Amino acid sequence: MTILIPEEYPKKLIDKNGKRLDGRALDELRPFSCKIGVLANADGSAYVEHGKNKIYAGVYGPREVHPRHLARPDRGIIRVDYRMTTFSVHERKSPAPNRREREISKIIEDALAPTLFLELYPNSAIEVYVQVIAADGGTRCASTTAASLALADAGLPLKSLVAAVAAGKADGEIILDLGDLEDKAGTADVPAAVRMIDEEFTLLQFDGEMTPEEFEKSIKLIKKGAREIFAKQTAAIKEKFDTVRKETEEENKKIEKLVPPEEKITHASGTKEEEKAGEEKSDKAEEIKEEKEDPSDTKEEEKKPKKEKEEKKSEENK
Amino acid sequence: MTENNHEIREIVIPGEILTEDKSFIPGRGAIRQGDRIISIYIGLKEVRGKYINVVPLRGKYRPEIGDKVIGKIVDITSVKWRVDINAKDTGILKPRDAIDVYDKRSQRGRKKSSRELEAEAMKMYELGDMLIANVVSVDRVSDPVLTTVGESLGKIDEGTIIGIDVPKIPRIIGKKGSMIKLLKDLTTCRLFIAKNGLVWVKGATSEYEKLCIEAIRKIEREAHTTGLTDRINYYIQEKKKERGLK
Repeated sequence: MTILIPEEYPKKLIDKNGKRLDGRALDELRPFSCKIGVLANADGSAYVEHGKNKIYAGVYGPREVHPRHLARPDRGIIRVDYRMTTFSVHERKSPAPNRREREISKIIEDALAPTLFLELYPNSAIEVYVQVIAADGGTRCASTTAASLALADAGLPLKSLVAAVAAGKADGEIILDLGDLEDKAGTADVPAAVRMIDEEFTLLQFDGEMTPEEFEKSIKLIKKGAREIFAKQTAAIKEKFDTVRKETEEENKKIEKLVPPEEKITHASGTKEEEKAGEEKSDKAEEIKEEKEDPSDTKEEEKKPKKEKEEKKSEENK
Repeated sequence: MTENNHEIREIVIPGEILTEDKSFIPGRGAIRQGDRIISIYIGLKEVRGKYINVVPLRGKYRPEIGDKVIGKIVDITSVKWRVDINAKDTGILKPRDAIDVYDKRSQRGRKKSSRELEAEAMKMYELGDMLIANVVSVDRVSDPVLTTVGESLGKIDEGTIIGIDVPKIPRIIGKKGSMIKLLKDLTTCRLFIAKNGLVWVKGATSEYEKLCIEAIRKIEREAHTTGLTDRINYYIQEKKKERGLK
């Protein structure tokens, strides 16, 4: 038989020096790190560590929708499945999906949808699986951050990345990025997701008590925190490709020493032929997009003759 | 515009501002947002005249008419095959697209009805067979239709098939096919790179096949870097020495 022990919360969440339980300042984030391309079998994936949260996200699709009646003939749908592992929390979580998991799946869907071009995928679904390995407060925010990275890694066109973080109130102070205890013992919790291109909110929940002024202040804090997270997301993506680039540069130097320049095979990175082959493929998708984004006919007309000119030029160059 | 080719191209992320200059036009992989042009992919930024493009680094295959693809038979009914072509929808292959009906009909003696011929043709491929096929038609509503009538199309009996990232295919082919020629010459393998990101490799021995696949994996990983052809040339020759291959 399980013995229920009521959880005890510390009386003070903020000490005399204005530091929090884990020694953070009021507007300081927990340590954050992320990585993309971590799952070999997924089309796109990401791993996020936010404080003690450890979260994997995998993206599949666009692919067929099952059950079929959920498919929309005019646009694609995004489906998120947020799950916590049984060992992710202090007391074993039942593996059966519960109300909370369904809620979080739904809000992550809504937080990501405004960054996708869903009209490009009629009758199909983009599926995101979020698995929480370890939870420590603010998993819905960290999961949204991870899911957004995984979508980008899958090579899906996106308007922007999404960064999510919570603000809240504890001991009468407005604080950023609540930990587990602050979430449970504090007076208010405002998780939010920010679309970074225009800093619009794609998720905003509220739980607790706050004055309108305090709410305004937490919104400001959230934006500040989101910018910090976004900077780390950006760095993680760029780092992945830059490390390969650095390695290859070293290799290039090594080869240059060995092979005299005359014997080298003529090459060019990203030549015209290569890109033309690639261009053909994505043209259709682009056309559809351009029509929707830029309906003015004059621009379309301008483009065509210019493209032809460019091609002629390139032929002359050869 | 050739001067851009040797430049190291910047890696951009979705939503990154490519330029705020109004004289530029967003090409593929970029859209206009107010005064700014932003990227919609993780990819390489590239300026060509007035156009700003982003070459994506990953992505799924979208079938187009005329594409040569490698597929796997995943379902058989009495009138058609379903072929997994590594795209969102499975391809459809009908018996009349699998054999040249007019060719067969003129063969010896009694004329066969097209129905008889189609029933006969349904025996051609079995579940799990790998095919090289051509995409005949594609639209947003129905599944892509394939054909295996044509030169070098049909069932694959030998060799190895591997999957690669679709946006990296141009790199594996190289400028005027330089990279694929290099791979073929140095590893003595036969290669077929399908547009849907599957590559068929057939070498004299499995050793050569393995070497060729490793080289392809290296190209895939380093697709966004410069000096790739030289590096692959060096890589294959070194590996050959190491393994004692000719």
